[in-house]
Formats: sequence, structure tokens, C-alpha cells
Amino acid sequence: MWTAKQLERLRLESAILIQAGLTQFSINHDASRNSYYASGYATSSSGKRYFLYIPVPNGFPNERPPMYLTDPHPLLMRDGTRISSLGVSHIMHTLDPYPNGMIQLCHWRQNKWHAKIYLYQVLLKGLLWIEAYEQHLETGRPLADFVLTMSEA
Amino acid sequence: MGTNDPQQQSMIREAMKSIAERRPGRTKLVYDKTKRTIVAVAEGAAIPTALNITAEDADMFAVLSLSAKWIRAHWKDLSAAGGMKLELVTWDEGDAYTHQELGVHPTGQRTQAVASVAGKGEEHCPTPIGVSFRQLESPASLRDCEFEGPDGVRYLAQAWKSNADAKEPMDVEVVEVVSALDARRKGLIENNVLSQSSVLCIGLGTGGAYIATELAKCGVGRFVLVDHDRLSAGNVVRHPGGLSEIGRLKVNVIRDLLLEKNPDVHVTRHPISVGPESESAIRELIQATDVVVCGTDNRLSKLLINKLCLEANTVALYGGAFRRAYGGQVLRVRPHVSPCHQCFISAMPEEAGDVEIGSQASADEIAYSDRPVPVEPGLSLDVLPIANMVAKLVLLELLKDKESTLNVLQRDFEAPWYLWLNRPEAGTKYSDWPPLSESMDEMTINRWYGIHFERDSGCPACGDFTTASAVAYGIDPSTLADIPSAPSPI
Repeated sequence: MWTAKQLERLRLESAILIQAGLTQFSINHDASRNSYYASGYATSSSGKRYFLYIPVPNGFPNERPPMYLTDPHPLLMRDGTRISSLGVSHIMHTLDPYPNGMIQLCHWRQNKWHAKIYLYQVLLKGLLWIEAYEQHLETGRPLADFVLTMSEA
Repeated sequence: MGTNDPQQQSMIREAMKSIAERRPGRTKLVYDKTKRTIVAVAEGAAIPTALNITAEDADMFAVLSLSAKWIRAHWKDLSAAGGMKLELVTWDEGDAYTHQELGVHPTGQRTQAVASVAGKGEEHCPTPIGVSFRQLESPASLRDCEFEGPDGVRYLAQAWKSNADAKEPMDVEVVEVVSALDARRKGLIENNVLSQSSVLCIGLGTGGAYIATELAKCGVGRFVLVDHDRLSAGNVVRHPGGLSEIGRLKVNVIRDLLLEKNPDVHVTRHPISVGPESESAIRELIQATDVVVCGTDNRLSKLLINKLCLEANTVALYGGAFRRAYGGQVLRVRPHVSPCHQCFISAMPEEAGDVEIGSQASADEIAYSDRPVPVEPGLSLDVLPIANMVAKLVLLELLKDKESTLNVLQRDFEAPWYLWLNRPEAGTKYSDWPPLSESMDEMTINRWYGIHFERDSGCPACGDFTTASAVAYGIDPSTLADIPSAPSPI
């Protein structure tokens, strides 16, 4: 199911995470499902912790990996409503939520994704999303006011 | 200006009947310039102010077109007593009758005829249309209505349509399809040179459909068609499929169209979408084909096709229109020789991301629920120059190792990427291009530009990505650790 080239890519991604200092995140193999994922707790500049989870799709690296924020859950907007209720939202930069309601962060859309984008870049976008989310909580302004629409790298 | 003279009316009727039956009559028709109407006059009479009307002027016979290939295959049955029935499609209120065996198109009304050799089915013909093949006494060069039977004898085909009064003759053409098509390509693409060449067309929207059809016209003999989509009413404004085919799978619409253009093509159809779930199926198709045409409109399918074509060492062409088809681009990938599609994205991300929003699926890919993206396709006439360029580049790839006059073009099409603009679209970097009519040296609309760029040595698809990344991030690639095991938290 996983090709040697994909596995080499994941080993490389893992090494780059370490080299780039993103050691709060790691790539792991779930042997029971024979699936790979990147995950870890991100800490915001205000000290709050958020768990980011990236299941590696079978078509990786050509296929875009989704990035979910799974803790805290549910994640709320400043007005108390669940972010997941917005679905695919531009103002909050979210895509279709996980079936259990955990939100999916928008990084690259599939039409901009390509195989030269590294997982660490996706996680960096996750960190930026978290900072923007906290700005939204602070000011009530849409999250989109604090991050640019993700463009092609 | 008409006449109620019964004798004149009778003469006109007789003259017209004679013309219709193509036999000499006692009266003839003329156009009387003074009366400004058609009149009948006795044969031999001269009217100085009249214009003669010939049978050619009144050529209103129905035309019956028959398949020579089918007639040859059924010659034995046609020669038996009573002849043999054949299926016709009737067009335009009986103006044309086309042997169903000539094509596959499902439109038109159906009727039957009986065809026979030497009049063996003529006496008690059960159908309103009859065809008879009679041996020619002194055959000269083969005319349209003549046919050389499997016995080596030349026959004259005659047909008639029965009505209440009489048998009305019909013009007959016995069509040798393959030689007629080959004759029009001769000198540029010789007979059969491409009959075994295969093209895999993935995505049969306006561009993909047009490319496949043009290649069939050029004599490409084998097509593999991939598209999961069905023809919708909105497609028809651009797609070669018509309103009468709404709801059909595009692979079936285009299969029929290809057979209409070249009955000898071999077509296989795969109504599947391109994605990781169909990777192994697409891999097999690519491995068995000479050239791949990628006409899909999403990034994932292009990257997947790129990967599989590199693996199979198969040349691929990617054609696409920019938004609203203000222009377009063609990328040709010769595996491991020229830049691949991933190299192209890395080198020209703006161009690679400038795509037409031609379908709801394309719009959904970039839309948000609070920020919808409208479907905004371009005009068909703006898509076709791009499709035409793809078809030409495919043709040159297929002819590369064969003899053809067209190979003189190989030197002109060496660049990997081609740019075309239909208009200097506002808001793009091309908006200030000079008017076409005022520029000789500068880039303008409606011209093709072949543009060179280099392969990416660190490309994840065709280069050494691991080494390049390791160098960039200061990693020793020989020390990459295995991925540890841990149950997924979700």
C-alpha cells in the first residue's frame, strides 16, 4: 500500500521536523491501520495548548493532507458558537470538519497543493492559524483578518 | 403572375415529372423573363426572353449513400433471390438516406430498403426503397454510383423510392469510407501510419473531446477514453456533444464521435475519475499507450498522471485554459528529458494555478460556504486554439519516428511549455500587451509562444528530492530514521 518512495519521503519529513525545531510534532505509524500521521501539541504565544493532527493520505505527497485541530474540542468562537458549525468557512479559514466535529484548518487547498510542500510547512500554517484564532477571541474580528488567504508556496 | 390555363398546368406537370424521372419529355420548362415565372413550352420551341431550366437546376432527387464495406461483406446474401434488407437513416424529410452501417450516430429516423444483385429483389420489393446492382457492360473509371463486387466485376448501383404513382429514382453513392478519408490526408500523413498509434485521453470536456476528435481525423487508430462525467445541458454550449445526447456518459458520446469520423478506430472506455483510488487502473492504461493527453481540471489528477507517466516513461501533454479562457497553456512532458508537471508548478506557480473554473466541481475546490466561487467557463472558440495546439503536439510525438512531411515541424515545437492569449485580460500581467495590429516584435495576443525552462533537479516527481531536501535542511540522507509506531490518537 505504501511505496518505498512514500516511506522515504515520510522519513525525510520526520528528519526535517527535528531539524526545523518543530520537535513538539512527530510522524508516527499506526500499525493496526497501516496508516501514518503527524501530530503534536502546539503551544500558542499566550501559552495555550492545541493538538494538531494530520492523517497522511494514501496519495501523499501528491494528495493534500488534511490538518485537524482535535483539542480543545469543541473549539468555540468568541460568541460561543462552535467553529465546526461554519463548515467550509473563509472568515475562519476552516474546511469540512472531521465527522466527530473536530475542525479542519485550511492550509493549501487541493488545487494549490503540490508534492514539494513539506509537512512542516503545513504545521507552521497550523501554528499561524492558532495565533490568528486567539486574536479573534481577543478582538472578535474574523480570523481571516489576521492571516492571508493561503497562497501557493 | 401565375397561370390558370389548364393546358399550361398540364404541361408544367408533365415537364416536372420528366425531370424528376430523368427522362426526356415532350415539353420543357423555362423561366420567362417577361412574365417572371416558370412556364412550360413544347420541346424545340425557342422563346427569346426565356431562361432554359435543366434537370440539374431541378436536381431534387434524394441521395442514398451505401457502405461499400458492408455490401462486400454481404455480397452473397445480396446475390440470393429476394436480395437483403438494409437499415437506412432518413434525413431532412426524405432528402437523404444514409446506410446505418456508415456511422453510429443515433439521431435520424430509421427505414429499411431491399438491396439485390441483378434485380433479384426488384420484382416484389417489400420496402418503399430498393437498390439494385447491375453489371456494367463497359466499365470505365469507377464513379460514385459504381461498385466493384467481390467477384471483380463492376456494378452500377441504382435506387428508387416507390410512391403511389411511380418509382422515383434516387442518386446513389457507394461509399468507400477508409480510402475516402485516407485520400484527404495523403501527402501529409500517409495511410495507416498512425493506425496502430494509441492515445489515452483523460478528461473529455470541451478541450479533451476536441483533441480526441482531431486526432481521429488525422488517422490515429487507437483511443482510450477516461472520464466519469455525463454530458449536461450546460456543457453543450462548448462541447461537441449535442442536446440530443444529454445524460450520456462523455466516454460514450466521444466514442461515437470518433467512430463517426473514422470508423476503423479502436476505442476503449473507462467511466472512472482519476484519483488515488483509481491509481492502479490508470497506471495500466498509461503503460499500454503511446501518448497521454491530460484534460482534467484539478491539481491532484494532474500530479497523479504526471507521476504515472514518469514511471511508465510515457509522453504526456497537459492543456488548459486560464480563467474564463482569456488564454491558455500547453505543457509537454517528455519523461526525464524535459521538465515534468511538478517542475512546472515549482517554476511557474502562478501559471500553473491559473485555471478555468469550468465546472461546479472546480468551483467547489476553491470556494468557501461564506465565499462562493461562480462557475465561469470561457467561450468554446477561446478553448479550441489551446486544444488544437495539444492535438498538433500529440501528432508530432506520434509521428516522430515515422516518415511524414509534418516532421519538418519538430524543430518548431521543441519548447516544453506554450503560452497563448485570447485577450489582454485586465488584472493580469498581460493586460498591457500592445495591440496585435501594432506590434511586430513584442508579445501580443493570438500568437503562440514556446517557452523553455529547466527541470528541477530536486523535483519530488522526477528529480532527487531526498538529496536536495537533505542538503537544504542540513540532513545526512543516510541517517534517516524509521518512522516509530504509535496508535493514532483519533
